[in-house]
Amino acid sequence: MNVFDPHIHMTSRTTDDYEAMARSGVRALLEPAFWVGQPRTHVGSFEDYFASLIGWERFRASQFGIRHYCALALNPKEANDPALVDGVFELLPRYLVKEGVLAVGEIGFDDQTPAEEACFERHLELARRFALPILVHTPHRDKKRGTERTLEILRHHGFPPELSLVDHNTEETLPLVLEAGCWAGHSIYPNTKMDESRMATLVKQYGPERILVNSAADWGVSDPLKVPKTVAEMRRVGIAEDDIAKVVWENPFAFFAQSGRLALEEIAPSATVDQRRLWEGNSVLRGQIPRVEGEAEGAVAE
Amino acid sequence: MDLLGTALLRHAASRPAWLMEAASGHAPPERDADMTFGGVPYVVGRAVVSLEGAEIDAARRSGLAWLARPCTVDEVARVVLVRAIAHAADDPFTAVRRLFVRGDNNERAAVLRALPLLRGPERFVPLATEGCRTNVKTVFEAIACENPFPARHLPDAAFFQMVLKAVFVGTPLARIEGLATRTDDELRRMARAYASERAAAGRTIPDDIHMLLEEAS
Repeated sequence: MNVFDPHIHMTSRTTDDYEAMARSGVRALLEPAFWVGQPRTHVGSFEDYFASLIGWERFRASQFGIRHYCALALNPKEANDPALVDGVFELLPRYLVKEGVLAVGEIGFDDQTPAEEACFERHLELARRFALPILVHTPHRDKKRGTERTLEILRHHGFPPELSLVDHNTEETLPLVLEAGCWAGHSIYPNTKMDESRMATLVKQYGPERILVNSAADWGVSDPLKVPKTVAEMRRVGIAEDDIAKVVWENPFAFFAQSGRLALEEIAPSATVDQRRLWEGNSVLRGQIPRVEGEAEGAVAE
Repeated sequence: MDLLGTALLRHAASRPAWLMEAASGHAPPERDADMTFGGVPYVVGRAVVSLEGAEIDAARRSGLAWLARPCTVDEVARVVLVRAIAHAADDPFTAVRRLFVRGDNNERAAVLRALPLLRGPERFVPLATEGCRTNVKTVFEAIACENPFPARHLPDAAFFQMVLKAVFVGTPLARIEGLATRTDDELRRMARAYASERAAAGRTIPDDIHMLLEEAS
């Protein structure tokens, strides 16, 4: 099963993760700009971070046959630092114009402060200006209320729901998001957020339309193989292959293709992944023997 | 209009005013330059550039051998833009380095490809050296391969590091322009040392190291 992980922070992951993801069917992913654990205190740190997401990380992924796309924004947590806000908004247009930047994100609420709301609205203006979809984070604390406020703001601004992917849903928020006409993301986590079995239940209940699944793997306890593992669980409970494919491949592609910057031939799985012939060359192998598909073994969840 | 401009206009998917201006050597306003540069592929497309018979020789003679590798039209448009921006800028180094620093991998490669075409090339030596330090192979190859800039302008230390790095990352040395003219006892010593390190570790010695050792003095 081909997988497009629509939310994963590869900056925090190793080449072992890339290798395991490729073996488990991940062909494309989107890395939204977020918090990197340690708060940043300089606008220049964001410039280097954005450069990494459009440069180095894209190249690193390409070595494993994975297409790396990104979404860029000032994340909700750091939107609360007034020393950063104007400087990062000055930078963002210069990066949003670039190839492979498929959305504005992740944006929205964390502590649900006025500063977060102001930044959310500025991001909506940017998304309109660049005709890009948005990837919206929903808060972990007071989640239902935060999701309701998020949807209210989108409605109030007349932002197109079909260009809005509202993420980190639970049993209580999913119906609200679908009802609003938005796409609904689910982050499958080892301990928090959503798990594979609950996710399979939700897909059985609501069907596959506008529903996405991601690993949201980052620098915390998380698992970059959660989407393939959810595929296995959905199969186990008897969800049709076409419906599974819709959730983990077709929906993310259809959502981000609305950017006008994503073509199917870019991510269509090639017959072989051969590290001797790469899109962007290679220098991370550091003396290893290049991997040729078919030689690898130990695939997860396939 | 030179070969770059001709190739650009022949393959561009659309030709807005700034593109026609850039093809004739005029830059977009400085405040828009990086936005224009970043959005190039959405304007000109990504068609593969094909050169006609005599153009291939002309490309090789004028420091544009990469045009015949082949390349795509967005890369040509970006090289043309870098040249126009540098020529119009009060401080060309700062203007060109800003495009490099803010660029994605393709933008950075285009900046490095453009270096031999710029006036006062010696002032771009620090940028060429910075380009050699990248870990992204396509960016490295934009300065190291089919590019006359390193052999003409890089000091020995930087040039030799670039050559050894090419061996490390598997970039054929045949792609480095002017390598024979810069190969001396010091570079051969470095090549011998690398061969010795590989042999001591029981590893194979890349063919290109032998080529370097056999390079006539």
